[in-house]
Amino acid sequence: MKLNGSEIIAECLLEQGVDTVFGYPGGAVLNIYDALYKYSDRITHILSAHEQGAAHAADGYARTTGKCGVVFATSGPGATNLITGIATAYMDSIPMVAVTGNVTNDLLARDSFQEVDICGISMPVTKHNFIVKDVKDLANVIRKAFKIAMSGRKGPVLIDIPKDVTGAVYDYEPVKPDKIENPLLSDKNDFLYASKLISAAKCPMIYMGGGVVSSDAEKELIALAEKLDCPVASSVMGLGGFPQSHRLYMGTIGMHGGYETGKATDNCDLILTAGARFSDRVAGDRNKFGKDARIIQLDIDKAEINKNVKIDCCLLGDLKDTLRVLTETVEKTERPEWIAQLAEWGKQGEVTETPKSDEYAHPYHVIEAVRALTKDSDIIVTDVGQHQMWVSQKYRFEKPRTWCTSGGLGTMGYGMGAAIGSAVANPDKRVVLFTGDGSFHMNLNELATVCSYDLNVKIIVLNNKVLGMVRQWQKLFYGRRFSQTDPHRKTDFVKVAEAFGIKGLRIHNDDDAESVLAQAFADDKPALIDCRISPDENVLPMIPPGKTVDDLITEME
Amino acid sequence: MENKHIIGLVVHNHPGVLLRVTSLISRRGFNIDSLTASPAAVEGYSRMTIRLSGDDDQVEQFINQMMKIVDVKNVEALPDDSSAASELILVKVSTDGYDNNDILAVTSKYHASLVNIGEHSMTFRASGTPEEIDTLVSELKEFGIMEMARTGIAALENGDRCLNVL
Repeated sequence: MKLNGSEIIAECLLEQGVDTVFGYPGGAVLNIYDALYKYSDRITHILSAHEQGAAHAADGYARTTGKCGVVFATSGPGATNLITGIATAYMDSIPMVAVTGNVTNDLLARDSFQEVDICGISMPVTKHNFIVKDVKDLANVIRKAFKIAMSGRKGPVLIDIPKDVTGAVYDYEPVKPDKIENPLLSDKNDFLYASKLISAAKCPMIYMGGGVVSSDAEKELIALAEKLDCPVASSVMGLGGFPQSHRLYMGTIGMHGGYETGKATDNCDLILTAGARFSDRVAGDRNKFGKDARIIQLDIDKAEINKNVKIDCCLLGDLKDTLRVLTETVEKTERPEWIAQLAEWGKQGEVTETPKSDEYAHPYHVIEAVRALTKDSDIIVTDVGQHQMWVSQKYRFEKPRTWCTSGGLGTMGYGMGAAIGSAVANPDKRVVLFTGDGSFHMNLNELATVCSYDLNVKIIVLNNKVLGMVRQWQKLFYGRRFSQTDPHRKTDFVKVAEAFGIKGLRIHNDDDAESVLAQAFADDKPALIDCRISPDENVLPMIPPGKTVDDLITEME
Repeated sequence: MENKHIIGLVVHNHPGVLLRVTSLISRRGFNIDSLTASPAAVEGYSRMTIRLSGDDDQVEQFINQMMKIVDVKNVEALPDDSSAASELILVKVSTDGYDNNDILAVTSKYHASLVNIGEHSMTFRASGTPEEIDTLVSELKEFGIMEMARTGIAALENGDRCLNVL
């Protein structure tokens, strides 16, 4: 059948099973938005306040569903506004297809109005990108883009389409999407070698990351951990990929991980790394990480092998497959002494909490009070900073795809968009956004979106009136010179919420935390809770950058 | 240990593929001496040859990262001892104050051909391994090199093995 480029885009989205897209209209995408009008019964478009919010929403949608997120933006500033969202998705391996309009072919390369070389700009933060200059290539490029985004190590793909291509008419025939296949790249001998290393180990640990969630390999990981009686530490990205109430779960690993996981890393004789990449926030000193341990790495991306930390054995392929085959290969073991030793370290590492105050609520207390009101399947989103680390330490995650955080890029301002995407994707679940006053100030414009779509998002602003994480580093490493981290803002977040049409509440201290939260969580409407916390509260324990657990900071003034 | 390595790449001949490859080299901090690109034997593909300085781990990482570029269809480190590698140089030598025969005595050792004679210069073309070209250049420096252009190396593995499109 004959369709114009924009209708071809809509049809190709339907081929891929896409029913929801995020975006913002503009001159270069007028044709596309005209098609979205026509297809509005089959494709829901969520309009954000800013393109960055739309990109983060597509990311939150992808993280909480496992599907590919889709975002539209116009040329020029519309496209550049997506970049932070695309880079965030790229760093965390989140599948996304971003479609940008561009000026017409005859205006390209002339510095035309709202023209930008978005393919050049997005190249380092996408798996691949395309500019489609001819409508005859359009359908196949879109199909290819989805396949690239969803296969192997997932990630964002950008398609730039000049305006005349979106209006040009061409033949369209529906095509069934290719099945995504990720072949097992390691052979029997690799698994036998890994199994030999495991049999030789007395005190092994599993270090898991976001790959477990991405590959839906939770069950396979549990099976392996149980068969080996092997304790599990998670990166911040891996949260939810292993139930935290499980007896083998230790906690997060890395800069703000626990004493127990730090000691385990230093004292174990084998580290089984599943879908994690030894980032500097985990392996602060990459030459000393697991210094006495052999390392086996299970990953889908060969380029992660020996990138940061030298390993002894790698198993390449989809984690679901590598974990399953490895579990079949290894022998059942029990190691009560090692488990007891870890529990002992766990006890030693318990952080003494700050005494109650009338002036402030304690972040741990608020997080635990929220946990008491949420189900295991509810979704927790954060921004970036101290609040993010407190949530990663204290919230008990039990299920995969219930956690959205910008782990790799550390994008302040990520939370609002991601919460919107999560809520749109999961109308049956509650979404809780923990944010800080710094992060929230960056993209609070998206309150408009939350209100317009009446999304079940509870926004908890852990408000210490300072840029807490940077301030904490200034305390530790810059002689308490608080350069630009104490902005003296007068923003009243309750009034802000009300101005956007959302209920606003305030937690003054630990005593009213439960009752205010209960009030906020009583319905399925959006709500903002401004929660006053102390500017002197720190994220502890902390392994200083470039160091190991030997240098752990457990107390600060 | 840091060494010179020659990497062969077969890439899809799409617009922007050179940028994809060079952008990756730059952002991952790889240290390259030269990069050449030209049409490959198979239509629609280009052959690139990259000379890289680095240790074995860096070469492994380089190959693995390159393989992630969608348009890159194959990458291999060519064995140093069994690959034909050569580059071409055009060099303009000043003849002022020197006997042309002295210059020609040097260039003939390297089978460099004289391609142009100017009022104050002679231009030569030579090909050889990078090391041979380096020595030629250092010998010609005695006379004064006015300008030169080197292509960077192109390389193929010896024997019947080929770097095919995967």
